[in-house]
This record gives sequence, structure tokens and C-alpha cells, in this order.
Amino acid sequence: MRTMLLFKVAGVLLALTAVATAQEYPTKPVRIIVPFPPGAINDTVGRMVATHLSNRLGKQFLVENRAGAGGVVGAELVANAPKDGHTLLIVSLAITVNPWLYALPYDHAKAWAPVAPVATAPNVIAIHPDLPFKSVKDLIEAAKKQPGKLQYGSSGVGTFLHLGPELFKLMAGVDILHIPYKGAAPAMIDVIGGRTQMAFGSIPSSITHLRSGKLRALGVGAATRSTTLPDVPTVSESGLPGYEAANWIGVVAPAGTPPAIIEKLQKEIALMQDTPEAQKQFANEGAEALRMSSADFGKFIASETVKWGRVVKEAGIKAQ
Amino acid sequence: MDLFNNLIFGFGVALSLQNLFYCFVGVLVGTLIGVLPGIGPLGTIAILLPITYSVSPVAAMIMLAGIYYGAQYGGSTTAILVNLPGETSSVVTCIDGYQMAQQGRAGPALAIAAIGSFFAGTVGTLLIALFGPPLADVALKFGAPEYFSLMLMGLVAAAVLAQGDMVKSIAMVVLGLLLGIIGTDVNSGVQRFSFGIFELTDGIGFIVVAVGVFAVGEIVNNLGERQERRVLSAKVSNLFPTWQDLKASAGPIVRGTGLGCFFGVLPGTGPAIASFSSYMLEKKLAKDPDRFGKGAIEGVAGPEAANNADAQCKFIPMLTLGLPASGVMALMLGALTIQGIQPGPQVMTQRPELFWGLIASMWIGNAMLVVLNLPLIGLWVRLLQVPYRLLFPAIMAFSAIGIFSVNNSAFEIHLTALFGVLGFMWMRLGFPLAPMLLGFVLGPMMEEYLRRAMLMSGGDPSVFVTRPISLAFIIATVLILVVMVAPSVRKRREAFTD
Repeated sequence: MRTMLLFKVAGVLLALTAVATAQEYPTKPVRIIVPFPPGAINDTVGRMVATHLSNRLGKQFLVENRAGAGGVVGAELVANAPKDGHTLLIVSLAITVNPWLYALPYDHAKAWAPVAPVATAPNVIAIHPDLPFKSVKDLIEAAKKQPGKLQYGSSGVGTFLHLGPELFKLMAGVDILHIPYKGAAPAMIDVIGGRTQMAFGSIPSSITHLRSGKLRALGVGAATRSTTLPDVPTVSESGLPGYEAANWIGVVAPAGTPPAIIEKLQKEIALMQDTPEAQKQFANEGAEALRMSSADFGKFIASETVKWGRVVKEAGIKAQ
Repeated sequence: MDLFNNLIFGFGVALSLQNLFYCFVGVLVGTLIGVLPGIGPLGTIAILLPITYSVSPVAAMIMLAGIYYGAQYGGSTTAILVNLPGETSSVVTCIDGYQMAQQGRAGPALAIAAIGSFFAGTVGTLLIALFGPPLADVALKFGAPEYFSLMLMGLVAAAVLAQGDMVKSIAMVVLGLLLGIIGTDVNSGVQRFSFGIFELTDGIGFIVVAVGVFAVGEIVNNLGERQERRVLSAKVSNLFPTWQDLKASAGPIVRGTGLGCFFGVLPGTGPAIASFSSYMLEKKLAKDPDRFGKGAIEGVAGPEAANNADAQCKFIPMLTLGLPASGVMALMLGALTIQGIQPGPQVMTQRPELFWGLIASMWIGNAMLVVLNLPLIGLWVRLLQVPYRLLFPAIMAFSAIGIFSVNNSAFEIHLTALFGVLGFMWMRLGFPLAPMLLGFVLGPMMEEYLRRAMLMSGGDPSVFVTRPISLAFIIATVLILVVMVAPSVRKRREAFTD
């Protein structure tokens, strides 16, 4: 009897603390883990989220960069963190690719309580301006005529700049040689210098060179044209229907975090997306706000994981 | 005369009260973070970036640039005083700078570092003003084969110049190469020597190795010596360099500046190459190379000038082409775009106040750093009179904080400790540390460029001799070998005829 009573009391207390956590959350400073070094898009978005949440929720949200292994090091830390909403992770496309590249130290399907996506940024096919191609169709034709002759630069094996073109190659049935670099900047330098022919970079890493005419855009990897590059057609329009490749950034918490806390965070992020500061920053990054409920974000992560897993397998990309 | 007018205009912008203030804040913050290892301009600028949105683009850039080259300055202070490289680029300064401090010549070492940096900064600034855009096009001419041949030349020169025990030097270079390939292979994505440890998949950080073998190793070594700690208080000779010091340093500073400017323009070279090359060159040119590693002032003057010129000239590809040479430059590029400015040659004409204001502020910032640093030398040197039992825990603590701040990773502190033990062993066994670090820096880059060159040429090695710039470096490499090997061959022949 006594034990039963004890259990009941404990149960009630537990329930109370759960309610209390949701209402009073956050009770202490919150760590936002960015699994990439400072300066990457994950980092700038992470800092934007941190500033907004600090201002709105009355406790400090601190960005911590924990780079390593394409984001696995930081993800592992959050996966094993207390499930009280005081440790959050900034995720991106990489989180859906890593399960196929690494033997992960956490269960990728069960580790997360998705909170909300923040922004999405498509890739843009940028070529050296001296090349004769005027459209994606021209590019595909040229690549078919001389398989393996054209080359593209990427920011490394398994990165967004590698997967985007691999998806392109699979869909178009062409062979373009992959030249990996350490980061997007050196890859872009070689396209501008004419040593490789193209890169499927993010809009921010290409836009300066597109505007100065050192690179020419053939298409944007999204369903609709980018507001940052309104004159550039989508890849679908330009010759490869259905091609979409966008990096996205979002926030997740460790699985088991109380739903009330998730909801609170999700609402705040939705509010942030409408602020003029956020709009300005999105425009600078060539990104657009991505709005979803927490549940839909979970489904989105799952479908992206399937999509890029297929590319990793069919293109034969390996890390370990 | 255009240049003159432009510079006057630039100074007009940079000397406004607001911009002077931001310049001062920048170099001050930069000096402070430069003193700490690990925490560098990258992290600091990332944190401060949002603050700059609210100020004018000119002020923002002036402050960020100040942090950047202020850090290069500050990094040498701890390198000289306590063998702790505050920044990657100041590793080379440890070698002779710390020895000078040991001999009670910390003052001249610090002063010559400041003077050398200031001269290099001035030349770098002028170079950007005069030849910015044409020089930037040089950067575009360097592809994988060119970089590979350049680095091959560097490595051969280093090997030929190695002094003392040849076998030990080569062993250390090879060890450095091996340590350098730990991590993910760029081409295949395969893990090498990471043993399933995720923290190792991106390789070992240069600063971890450098702080470990230099700072921590030195502390272990000092504590191992039973006798009275060699605190330097006893024989601080003079605070400022003598006329002889200045004369000895003039050549190295000029040559170091030249090397620094050359490497600075090329975005594909890392931060340590300029200072390493300058060190090797000075050692080669010296009449008595044996002094190097034992407190030669040339070994401080040259590399310090080189690393500051390098830092300054990294702005050329960034401002005129929008090509970032490092993470820090990428962040500054980001700051510019957020302000709605597209970097490129048009910056000079469309936003002259930004371009010339920034350039003028660089010179002012460099001058501020000298003014800031020279009077502080007395204070720094007095710091060395702190008893070692208090000083060494402080150095350890600052090292640990600095290393931790890079990645918020405790693992890297453990690694630093491990390298401390190794560094102590190497010191005791008489293995030179510099060749190991050179192998560690050059090895992975050479591999990356070699394999990329081969991948792009479809496996045809002739790219290295059919491309003119690459060919020139290959010829230079052969010449270095011939010049260096010939005397010893002749000697041997003479020995035979005798």
C-alpha cells in the first residue's frame, strides 16, 4: 500500500514538474549546438534563432559550435543531452545524409524531437562564363556527348555541393566528374579560374560571382524561382523537369523532450520568421523561410533522409 | 597622383572620430584574443558579426579588419614570452623568440616583432592600394598543379636546409606528414587513422599540435629540471633593440614582407607557410645558421613581418574578387554582403569611401598596434619575473581555455596534453620540432593538390611541366637541389683527389 501511495505521489510530482517545465521553460540558459564551424549557414541561422529566443523567453540561448564529421559530433552530444529543452541542435540537410555515410553513434530515426524548420536555400548551377551552354538542356547534351569530360567542384565528399550534382547526374543520366575540395570557396575559385566547368553551390557562395559576371547561372534547384535571383530559371524550366535540391536549416531537440516545450519553441520560431531582421537575413543568404508544424517537420526529415539515401547509394558515395 | 588623392580621401574617412574608435576597439580586441591560443579571429568575428549590422559598413569593416590583424600581432607576444603560440601564424616565432626571452632579450624580441609587423603592414597596405586588382588576377592563375609545385619547392628547400642531425630532421618531417593525414581523405571521403573516433574525422588541429609540443612540452621540460627555475628576471639586458639588432633585422624584415605579400595574394596557402618560408630563408642566408633556434633575432624579425604581410594581402583576393582565402575572410565577405555590398573590382569605384577608408584604417590600425605594444613591452617583460610556480599553471590554464574555445571540445585538450608529453620526449631526445610542424602543415596540402591535379588531368603527370607557372617552380626546385648538392659533391671529389 505504502509503496503504491509513494508511486502515486511520485507520479503526481512528476506530472507537476512536467507542467512546470513547460510553463516556466526555460529555467536556465539554453545551449544551441551548431555542429559546424562559425560562419557556415547553420551558424548564422543558429545565431539568429538564439538572439530571438533570448529576447523573447527571458533566458540566454547560447550558440556552441561543435564541428566534426559532417555534423555527427555535435548531433551525438544533443542526442545524449537531458530531454528538458535546454539543449537544442541546429540541423541541416547533412543530418539526412550522415546515416548513409557514417556508422552513427545514435539512432537517427529515433533520436530527435523535431521542433521546426527555419529556412531553405536551393542550389544554383553556376558555370564558367566562357562555356557555350545557355541552358541546363545544353549542359546535359554536352555531357552526354563526352561522358566524364566535364568536371564539377564540390566542398567535399557527402556535402550538399556533392549530393546536388549527383542527383542531377542520376536524373539526367549523364557522367560529370566530381572534383572535391575542402570547402566551397576553393571550389568556386577553380570554376572562376576555368579549371573546372561548374559547381552546384548555394546561392550565397555564388551570388557575388554571378552578379560580377565571373560565373553564369543555368538554373536554380527549386520548384519556383528564387526571389534573390529572379532572372534565373529553375532547373526544371531549363531542361531537367522535377529536379529539386535545397539545403535547409531547422531546430530539433533530443527525443523525449516534453511536447509543450517543443510547441513553445515552434511558435517562437514561426514568429521569428516574420520579423524584418529575419527576412533581411534570409534574403542575404539567398534563403526563404520554411514553415511547418513540428510533426510535419519530422515527416519532412524522414522523406529527405530517404531521398538523399537513394542518391548516396546509387551514386556510390562512401565515407567509412 | 590618383593614388595620393585616393589615400588622402581614405585617411579622411578613417580619421573620423567614429571610425578611429572602431579601429581602436578592433585592434584592442584582436590583440587580446591573439594572446590566447585557440580563440582566434574566426570565433570572435562570428560572435561580433551581428553587432556590426547596426553600424555603417565602413566602420564595421574597419573593426573586423582590426580584430583580424590585431590577432596576428597579439599572437607573437605569448609566443616570445612563454613559448605559447597564440595564433597559427606565430608558431615559428616560438622557435627563436622564446630563446631570446630565455636569454633576457624578451624586450628586443617583442619590439622587433612589432616593428617588423608594422613595416610589413605598411607595405601590404600600399600594395593593396597600388596593385590590388591586377594582383588578384594572379590568384586566379594558381590551380592545383601550381600550388603543388610551389609546395614541393618549399619542402625540398626545407629538407636541404635542415641542420644538425639529418636523419632526425627527416624522421620528424615524415612524422609530421603522417600526423597530417589523420582524418577524412578529401578525395574519397575515407577515414584515415581515426580509429572510429569522431573527433578525429576532421584531423588534428594545428594549434593543438603546436601548443602541445611547444608550450606544454616546454613546461614539462622546465619542471623536469631540478635546478633553480630559470626565471629571466636576473638578466633582462635592455628593453629595446640595439642598433646592431636593428641592422641585423632590416634585411629579414624586407625579405619577410616580400614573401608574406607573395603568399598573401594566393588564397590556397595556409596561414603558417609565409612565416615558415621566411624562417627557412633567413636561416639559409645567415652567415652562421647555427645561431638559429638559439635566439637569433633574424628568426623573429623575418617570420613576424611575413605573417603580417600575409594577413594584410589576404584582403586583395577578398576585396577585389570576392574570393575568401580563409574562414575569417569568408566571414568578412559575409559582413559585406549583409551590408549590401558586392565585393569585386567595382567596390573601388562604387564604394570608394569603403575601399580607401578600409585601406587607410589598416595603416592607422597598424600604427595603433605599435603605439599600443611598445610601451607595454616593459610590462610584459616584468610578467616574466612572476615566479615559475605561479606562471606555469597560468600558462596551462590559458592554453586549455584557448584550445577548448576552438571547438568546445574536451577531447582536444586531452590531445594537447598528449602532444605535450610527446613534445617533452622529442626535446629530450634532441628531435627538432620545426620540421615536424612543417610536414604537418605542408603534407596534407601537397597531397590534396597533387591528387586534385591528377584527377583533373585524368592521371596525366605532364600537367606539372606543361603549365608555365608550375614549370617555373619545378625548375627552381631542381636548381635548389643542384646548388645545394653541388658543393658537397665537389668536396667529395676533392677528398678523392687528395
